[in-house]
Amino acid sequence: MFRLHDVSYAYGGSQTGVAALSHVSLDVAQGEFRWLLGPSGAGKSSLLSILSLEVQASSGMVEILGVPVRQARRAGLARLRRRIGAVKQDFGLLPDMSVFDNVALPLRLQHRVEAEIAHEVHAIMKWVGLEHRLEALPPQLSGGEQQRVAIARAVIYRPALLVADEPTNALDERQAGRLMRMFHRLAELGTTIVVATHNDAIVAKYPAPTIELLHGHLVRDHG
Amino acid sequence: MARQRYHDGLALRQALPGRFLPFLVGSMAFLAALALAGGIAAHGLSQRWTHGAGAVTTVQVPSPTDPATATAAMGQTPATRIDAVLATIAATPGITGTHRLSDAELRALLAPWIEQTGDASLPLPAVIELHTAPGQDVAASLLPRLQAQAPGVLMEHDSVWSDRLAALAGSLQACAGLAVLVVMTVAVCVVMAATRAGLLTRRQAIGLIHALGATDSYISGRFATRVGLLALWGGAWGSVLALPMLLALSHLAAPFTAMGDIPATTPDWRDVHAWAALLPPALLWMLVIVPPAAGLTGWATTQLTVRAWLRRLP
Repeated sequence: MFRLHDVSYAYGGSQTGVAALSHVSLDVAQGEFRWLLGPSGAGKSSLLSILSLEVQASSGMVEILGVPVRQARRAGLARLRRRIGAVKQDFGLLPDMSVFDNVALPLRLQHRVEAEIAHEVHAIMKWVGLEHRLEALPPQLSGGEQQRVAIARAVIYRPALLVADEPTNALDERQAGRLMRMFHRLAELGTTIVVATHNDAIVAKYPAPTIELLHGHLVRDHG
Repeated sequence: MARQRYHDGLALRQALPGRFLPFLVGSMAFLAALALAGGIAAHGLSQRWTHGAGAVTTVQVPSPTDPATATAAMGQTPATRIDAVLATIAATPGITGTHRLSDAELRALLAPWIEQTGDASLPLPAVIELHTAPGQDVAASLLPRLQAQAPGVLMEHDSVWSDRLAALAGSLQACAGLAVLVVMTVAVCVVMAATRAGLLTRRQAIGLIHALGATDSYISGRFATRVGLLALWGGAWGSVLALPMLLALSHLAAPFTAMGDIPATTPDWRDVHAWAALLPPALLWMLVIVPPAAGLTGWATTQLTVRAWLRRLP
């Protein structure tokens, strides 16, 4: 779960930067699934970056999984990041590491044993339908395959908070449907999920409470 | 396999290649070893000059077996002039050793003149050698007290030159220390530059594993371990390469520094013990210490550099 109170964020610093979010307040409980909607430039990616601790809010209070972010020490933030999964638009895969190693990365950083890691990676890659591409390098994969690898890496350690930026835009309808079913299953198991999308069809097909932004302002919460 | 090589995505073999850094650190270690050797040699010379022949004060006591003046005046048991002088010297602070020359030593010392005059029955004074602590000048205060006991006592104080040579050796030591400091500073700068280049090479991977929850200490520890081992390796090569040069210099400097027998010829190249005997123990220890010192310096420098760099990440 997370709470935002009067959060603003500006690229390039709070004084001279370009405002991306203005006075946003949100309270999302554990196990909730939320769509994050809004046109390009509305601030969706900025909000997801704040929730995934990729950037710090310029002002306001951010509390993620019960941890006040501004007061947390660096080691505490690192521990918190291990409980947050993020799927980015550019996938964020390391091009010189195999698919297996990319997906195994979060588990290796948790110092899990290799046999357990191999089991988990094979299971999740089977689920995303890429168990035959484990030794491939990301540049050898299609956009849709890279997106599935990125999703596999984000969910392999069953994060308490999952944020995804346009996770279905490179997937076909069948894969998108499988992904949405998995997200809802994770939410049932207690993961809080926020998914940013422009895909009205999928929002209509999988209705859920929404957060809507426009020019950096929150214009709809719940819905 | 790639899985082993890129275990956590940092790919440090790419970021910090295994040849460049050891070569540079090895060169620095080589220079540091030479500078340290210079410092140790200067220290040895300083010790020799301040404690050697140059630091000796000579006391001549004419008619040594005559009664001492002061004791005779006070009505005490008459003591000889030499006994009174030795007792006064023994009670004087700052004197680290005394040696009264025996008749045989005295005659050997005077042999060229005695043989020329052909008179071996000349009355000879007693001669005492005093060794003083470095920087101590006891002559001014001691001479009046000795003359009160035994009029006609003479003192020759020769520590002026030994003190000057000791000051010169001290300057050489300071120069060697400064050279080591400069070499270490350059080594630290080299390690910092190499580490920053490595960080830039792998910035995408570092950003990713940071986002996945890797702590600063994990990332800096991985870099520091790699750099520390490369620096240790480079330092070991620097020490090994410095060894033959130090042996050659020690052989050349032996006449100036040797306290005992000086080897007349160059030892056979296969005689390891003979060559090892040329090196002072401090120099051998220094060669052993340089590699771990290089490794530790590399490790600490990298820790600080990486942690400072990571501060730019949220």
